[in-house]
Formats: sequence, structure tokens, C-alpha cells
Amino acid sequence: MSEKLRLPAEESYAAELKALAAGETGHRPPGWALSPRQVVTYLIGGKAADGTTITPKYVGDRRLIETAVATIATDRALLLLGVPGTAKSWVSEHLAAAITGDSTLVIQCTAGTDENQIRYGWNYARLLAHGPSREALVPTPLMRAMEGGKLCRFEELTRMGSDVQDTLITVLSEKMMPIPELNTAVYAQRGFNIIATANNRDKGVNELSSALKRRFNVVVLPLPDSAEEEVAIIVKRVGEMAQNLDLPAPKNVADEVARVVAIFRELRSGSTEDGKVALKSPSGGLSTAEAIAVMIGGISQATFFNDGKLTPETLASNMIGAMIKDPVQDTAVLGEYLETVLKKRRGFEGYYASLTDRI
Amino acid sequence: MAGKISLFGIRHHGPGSARRLVEALDALAPAVVLIEGPADASDLLPMLADPDMVTPVALLTYAEDDPSHASFFPFADYSPEYQAARWAVRRGAILRFIDLPASDRLSNTAEGGMDEAAQDAVDDPVSRDPIGALANAAGYDDGESWWSDVIEENPAAGPVFAAVADAMTALRAEARPLSAREAAREAHMRIEIAKAAKECDGAIAVVCGAWHVPALAERRSLAADRELLKGRPRTKIKATWAPWTTPRLARASGYGAGVVAPGWFAHLWETRPGDRAAVWLAKVMRVLRDRGHFVSTASAIEALRLGSALAALRDRPSPGFEELREAAIACLCNGERAVWNDVAAELLIGSGVGSIPPATPLAPLLEDLQRQQKAARLKPEALERPLTLDLRSDSGLMRSTLLHRLNALEVPWGRLMDAGRSRGTFRENWQLRWEPEFAVRLVENLLYGSTIAEAAGGRLVEAMGKEAELGALATLVRNAMIADLSRATAFGIAALETKAALTSDGQALLDALPPMADILRYGEARAGTAEHLAALMPRLVVQAALALPYAARNLDAPAAARLRAALLAADAAIQLAQLGTEIVTTWRDALAALLNEDQATRLITGTAARLLYEAELLTADRAADLLARMLSPGTPVADAAGFFEGFFEGAGQRLIHDAALRGAVDTWLITLDEDAFIASLPLFRRVFSALDRTERRRLMDALFARSAGGDRGYRLIAGAGDIWPDHQARVLDLLTSGAPR
Repeated sequence: MSEKLRLPAEESYAAELKALAAGETGHRPPGWALSPRQVVTYLIGGKAADGTTITPKYVGDRRLIETAVATIATDRALLLLGVPGTAKSWVSEHLAAAITGDSTLVIQCTAGTDENQIRYGWNYARLLAHGPSREALVPTPLMRAMEGGKLCRFEELTRMGSDVQDTLITVLSEKMMPIPELNTAVYAQRGFNIIATANNRDKGVNELSSALKRRFNVVVLPLPDSAEEEVAIIVKRVGEMAQNLDLPAPKNVADEVARVVAIFRELRSGSTEDGKVALKSPSGGLSTAEAIAVMIGGISQATFFNDGKLTPETLASNMIGAMIKDPVQDTAVLGEYLETVLKKRRGFEGYYASLTDRI
Repeated sequence: MAGKISLFGIRHHGPGSARRLVEALDALAPAVVLIEGPADASDLLPMLADPDMVTPVALLTYAEDDPSHASFFPFADYSPEYQAARWAVRRGAILRFIDLPASDRLSNTAEGGMDEAAQDAVDDPVSRDPIGALANAAGYDDGESWWSDVIEENPAAGPVFAAVADAMTALRAEARPLSAREAAREAHMRIEIAKAAKECDGAIAVVCGAWHVPALAERRSLAADRELLKGRPRTKIKATWAPWTTPRLARASGYGAGVVAPGWFAHLWETRPGDRAAVWLAKVMRVLRDRGHFVSTASAIEALRLGSALAALRDRPSPGFEELREAAIACLCNGERAVWNDVAAELLIGSGVGSIPPATPLAPLLEDLQRQQKAARLKPEALERPLTLDLRSDSGLMRSTLLHRLNALEVPWGRLMDAGRSRGTFRENWQLRWEPEFAVRLVENLLYGSTIAEAAGGRLVEAMGKEAELGALATLVRNAMIADLSRATAFGIAALETKAALTSDGQALLDALPPMADILRYGEARAGTAEHLAALMPRLVVQAALALPYAARNLDAPAAARLRAALLAADAAIQLAQLGTEIVTTWRDALAALLNEDQATRLITGTAARLLYEAELLTADRAADLLARMLSPGTPVADAAGFFEGFFEGAGQRLIHDAALRGAVDTWLITLDEDAFIASLPLFRRVFSALDRTERRRLMDALFARSAGGDRGYRLIAGAGDIWPDHQARVLDLLTSGAPR
């Protein structure tokens, strides 16, 4: 039994990867542990040659995963876009685990990430004692991935500054990283590539420069297709999180989740579930993850301030927070939705009343 | 001596089969080419080779007495039938259609009330496009990619047409039994093939849908086939060519045997496998750039690499339609499917229009017009002639409908003289004049349908699809409704719903209300059509009410004047439409909210106040208070003047009769200092010049009577209420005594 809180993908799914590698018959690109087709099977699920069941890691469109794998097979960098909670990081971790057997070369990009964390840093003691030398360099995950022919993952690429992002241009197009201080360069070994994830709905991020953007193939991971699927995901996650937070889950959670999801999906998709009335969408993402946050917020409010009763009133203030990101525009959109759709819908009277009260 | 018969099972509109077919014909050099198509239209076939004939065109057959029973057989460049016909004309081979005559099909549809396309759609999808069905089963979106991957690239399959025939034999073995009509068609084709074989001794090429190959290859006795054809109905038909469009080749347009993506098929026909993917991506790139997206050549190279990698991943020999689509989305559209959808229509559907040679037989639209002119007893005359129609009579309504439909086709034979007035009245005044070029314009409209009703509907549907403005769209729907075009109306209402939901611009919403009210009122006369709309109008009113406070903010003079006009028209429309009290209350509440909205443009505030005042929701006292507040000395003169104009423009009479109001205005006027008064003078002139001389005198009287303290105005005498009923009876008596009973 490991003491680690969470194991990397290649360790927790080692058995599946081994079974797939053992039954490998297809052509493997240089540096790959599996053939592209087996990588797709590993992510989508299926059976290995020896009959081992491969659990699905990603539930959704097979074509998207095929495009992602084919992208890496053509030496192109892959950018996974999507609103929060669409399994971007999860997919990128499993792709790295399946392709190179190592998903740990990660750079978490933040506004504070600087070039030294992308290219290389210096061991200053050595630098001062012996002058610039290869030994005085501190390699980053990117540099290690280049030297080892591995995949390097960038989380939330758009969060770091544009000037730092652009460091990647040379790496991506010339597959090498110059070290001008030593008058040398690091050349990428075959198998090296980059998988980046980014959020396409956030504000206040640094859009990729078009020079950098065109060096990526972009795959957009969508939100769940059907309401049932989404409700199931949310109920499960809310249950887990409520347990972690020691919140007793009220009995009617599933019903309220279904209603919140119905409202979120309609606003997000821009039409009512029956397709009869077209709507405007608010500027916020209204993702599955936000629906989860709304439910958790509502439950905690219910527990501490409402005798454990989960009511539309307790959820409404949380929903407003998720739905209205732009005070003028989104209020108008929501007002219209309330008056034209929700007002007449049965079972949503509570939501109509309390949402109308709050806007 | 009988000729040797070769059967070529093709895929309708399949570029792959077309290319193979031409090669096969070159190799075989047949003396006779037989094509699956209505036998009685064979005479028209050689016209396909006319240099003036530009695809897409359609062979149009229609029942002589009722052109709305028509069927179209479209041909594109990449239709194997088209290539076969051109080959035959080029080589001087005998060329014939061999399918059941159109006279049979059309009488069938007359009974069943179904057109050809619908009939085909009801048929088994496997028999309609067996190759597409096989491709779908193999996980392909596009039958052509499957055709090239499996039929053409698979070296073991041997000659292509033999392979297709084998596949079809296997498919047919498991298919459900044929309908009587299908059986009769195949019997007819067998008889025709046998006849051709008897007549001449060269090689005979039969070009038919792949599905029919096994049945046509079978040996059956002529007698049994004749038995199948016995007692088939007949009707008189006419046939001609009609120009066609690429969007109507697409299956989405309702053409059952259509293709999913005419643009992709045309591309397949125009290019060779070697550079096919590259040229396609170049086309994608060009369209993207035309739409203002930034796409570099390097990205296209990457897209091609990704497409090839995807094809390899899926075990396909070369990137097909799906691989290129996904590669284009990932590399050229930044992963955004919406960007792809934006360009997909132009790329996949295209906007090509065919043309036909001038020698083509008479178009059914002209015939239909002649028939309707006869029925409506309206002669085309080159001289201007006024015509007044009473819409309550059947003949009046019929004539009006015909003229409206022609107008929808941009054949303005009649011009409506009082176009501004709504259809609430039962009278229409037309000015008629027939111009010779109308006939030409009518023929151009053949594209949209074979009768005037169909063509007018089709044309309006197209216009509605393109219309971006909510108000203009509502007007188009009203036109469709007046012209009694139910399909176009239904389409328009659906379009209106979507557009209305996406519009948040108050001005656009208000603009849409007057035509909507017209539609609603007019639609009530015709059951069913307005049902859907009855729900839409209240929603539009609610939306407009919600958007109004935002729309009224900080407008400059022209924008404010526009909004004011829209507001007045919308309010009139809302009263006209007789909506539920709740909706009207929402609307009035929005107007009331405007009065307290500080940022609202004062002209609009004034207009809203006036509307409320007229609806008696603002008492005279409160109106006077409001006037005093809005016109108070602290308010900038421009604002006060705006409010004043909004309230009184076009309603100066109020001042004559409403003492309280007059007092408030009077007080405000007196407080103005000289400069401000002079600055506002043009405004006062504008408001008061709307009054005629009598009215102006009465206003003066009212003012001076008050200032002099006299009582020269009319006054109610004491006890008037008690004696009024007697007076009223006497007045009514006088008024009605002369009228006929």
C-alpha cells in the first residue's frame, strides 16, 4: 500500500498499460511505448490482446481522442481547450502516461511563471564558484523532456505571461533550445512533444500569440452531451465532496441537481431542452464544475443556516454568482430567461421566485 | 443478332462511379447507352450535351393538368447519368431512358399525394443509396471516401462494376421484398433492355443504380414482366429542363436521393486522388480567409499531415472527408467547431446555379400562370389598369392571392396602391400592368418550384433564411401569410422565433411588433397558421418590455426619433393584437419604469408618459406633476424640450381640452427666461403647427378664456346627466330616419 495520496496515471494503471504493450502489434512511432491505436484504446476503453479490460479514462467522442493522438504522432504540439471541468488535465496526464510512460514532467503555468522555470535555471553557488558551465544549469521539466524524448505537459498555458509563452516558439518549431550563455543548445530527442491545456472561457488570461497558436493543433473538449450524464457526474462528485467536508447530504440533492442542471444547460446551450424556445447565453461558462460548486455552496448553507434543508432559496444566491459575471448584460439575459421560460415551468416556482428576488 | 449487354451499377451523384463509368464506356464503346430515367423523356436527353446547358440542371416532368405534381431528376457534373449521356452524344451512340415513364410515376403521386422525393425517402434507405449504407456500416460519414478506399483501392476486388454487382447481390438477398412500384420499374427496365438488344447488334451499356443491377441481370420471361406492368395508371405529362442549384442537390433540402455535401462531391470530380486532400485544404483555407479568419499556409501543411496521420490511425489508405474535416478543425479553426460550421455551408453546399439553353420547352410556371389567369379572369394587359378587390368574395381573394404571390416572385404585375394599410380592411386597390420581361423573370423562378405557389413559397423561404433584421423578417412572414403560402409561413415563423430569442436590441424588437400584430390579426382568419405565433407575440412583447429601459438610454437625436416612432407603432400594435392583460401590464409597467429612469432620453420618456396618459394609467394630476417636474427650471432646456416634444408631438389637441395639462404647460412656459424661450421656439412651432387653424383658434380661446376669467368655452349645464338619455334618443332618431332599413 502506497503512502502517496494519489499515484500518477502510469502507476495506477500500470497493469492496463502492461497488457496493452504486451499485445502490441502495430507500428510504434519513435519514442512511443504504445502504437497510436493502442493509446486511443487506453483512453476510450476496450480490451487488450490478452483479454484484460481497459477502463475508459475519457467518456465522450472517440474522434476527439483520435485527433489528439494523431497530432502527437505527427510531432505537432497539442493544445487541449475547454471550460473548467471538461477533463483536460486528466486527458493530458493519461496521454503522456500511455505514450511515454511518464506523466510527471509537468509545468503548472501561473502569472508568476518566468522563463527560468520554462527553459533552465542556474545553480548560483556553482555559477559563482566555477563560472557558467553545463553543471551549473538546473534543468526544467521541459529541458528534461527534450533530452529524454518524453512528453512535457503545460497546465493552464494561458495563465502565464505572453512573453514567457513565446519562449516555446523556438522549442516547437526548431525542436531545440539555445543556451546562449554557454554557446550551445539542447536538442530534442525523438519522442519529445508538448501537451498544453488551457481554459477558453476565462477572462484575464493571456491569449496565445498567433505565432505560438499556429504551432499547436487544438482540440476542444466539450461539456457532457446529455443531461442524465451530467446529473450523474454532479451527484457523484457532490456526494464525495460533501463527505470530505463533513457535510450531511440532504435527501433531495438529486432532485435539486436535476433542476439546477436543467437551468444551467438551457442557458449554456442557448435553447430550451425541448428546442422550442431559443435563448441568450450569459457570459459565464456555466460548466459542470460550476454546477458542482453551486450545489456544495447550497448544501453548506443549508447545513449551517437552514436546519439542513436544501431549498431553492439557499441555492439561488449561489446560482446568481455562477450565472451573472457581467452585472448589466447577464442580468438582462437572466431576467429574460426567468420571464419567458422559467415563470411558466412547473416545479421551478421556487427558483423563479428566489432568482427574481435577487436580480 | 442480339447485342451484348453490360450493366453498370452506379451510385447516383457519385463522382467515383462517374469517373469509372466514363473509363468503362471508353473501353466498351457501346452502340446503345440506356440510362435509368423516365422513358417518355428520352427526347430531351441529347440536350444535356448542349454547350448552353450548365449543371446543375434538373429534368422536370409534370402532370399537364396540374404542374404541382412534378418530379425533378437533378444532374450535376459528377452524376454518372450525366456523364453517360454526354458520352453517348459525343460518340453518336443511341441514347435512351428506360425507367417507368413519368406518366406512370406522376399519376401514382397524384393518388398517393406524395412527390417523388418523399416517396424515395419512405423507401428503404438501403435501396436508395446502397453504397452509402455500406459505407455507414463501415463507419464512414461519406460514401465516396468508402468507395475510393474499398472499391477502388482494394486491388483484390477486380473490375469495379463487377465488385459492386457482387456486393449488391449480397445486399439484396437480405433486403425486404420490393414494393409493387419498384418491381414494375425493374420489369420496365428489363423489357426496354431486351427491346434495345433486339433492335441493334452493337454492345449495349445500361447505366442504372447499383441496387438494380442484380435484378436487371436476371433472366425473366417477357410475359411475366408485361404482366407486372399491366393496369399501371397513366396521366398526360410534359417534360422540360429546369435550372437547378447546388443547395437543392443537398439531401438537407429535402431531395431524397440528394447528396450530403455537393461541394465535396464536386471537388472529388474535379481533382485526382494525388493532390485531392491538398486542394481541398486550400479551398478550406480560402473560404476561411474570405470570412476574415487568419490561416497560414504552414497551418494547412500541418492539417494535411494530421489528416494523413488520422487516416493511418483508422487504417484508411488516404485521408477522406472526415479526416480532413477533423484536421481542418484542429489546425485551421483553432479547434473551434463553430468556426468550421461557419464555413461548412459555403464549402459543402456551395451556391452554384445551373442554366438551360433558350430552346428548352415551355416552362410550367408560365403555363400555371396562364391557367390561373383564366381561372381568376384576369387578362395580362400592357396598359395601366386599376383593380379593386373585395376580399370577402372568393374571386376577389383568389385574384389578390395570385397578385401577392407574383409580387413575392418579383413579377410586379400588380402594385398595391394602399400598401401602407394593413389587411384589416376587406378592400385592396391594385394597379395592373403586364410587361413582357415578366415572362422571363417567371422562368428564372423555376428554380424555386414548378407552380406559382411553390415558387413563391420557395423564394420567400430563401429570403427569410438570409434576412438579418427581425422587423424585415416579420414583414416577409406577413407577406407569405397574405399570399397564402403555408410552408413559407411555417418556416418564417420558426425563423422568427429563433431570431427573436437572440435579439436583445430593443429597437429591433419594437420594429418587429407591428408586422407581428398584423400577422396575428390576419392569421386568425386562417385556422392553424397563427397558433404558434400567438405564443410568440407575447414573448416578443415581454422581451421588448425588458429591453426598453436599456434601449432608451443616452440616445442622440436621430436614434431617439427612430425609437420614438417604433415605440408608438409598437404600442398601437400591442393594443391591436388584443393580448392578455398580464402581457399588456408588463408592457405598461416598462413604460412606467421609463418615467423614473434618469438616464433615459427625455424624448422617449415623454412618449412613454403620453402613451400612459392616453391609456388613462397616468391621472391628469400625476401627468401635470410629471410635466412640472420634467419641465421644471432646474432641468436643462434641451432635456425639457425633448420631453415636451415626446409628449405633445402629434397630439396638440390634448392642450385644448385638458385644462390641468394646459395649466402645467402654461406655468412652465412662463418660468422660461427670454433666451431659453427663444431657444425653444422652433420646438413649440413644431408641436403647435400640427394643429390646424380651427384648433389653434380654440386653443387660443381656451387660453384667453382662462386668462380673462370668462366662460366662453362650452360647459356642462347642471343636471345634464338626467336629461341626456332623452336628447340622445332624439338625436339618434334624427340620424337614422333617413337611412334605408
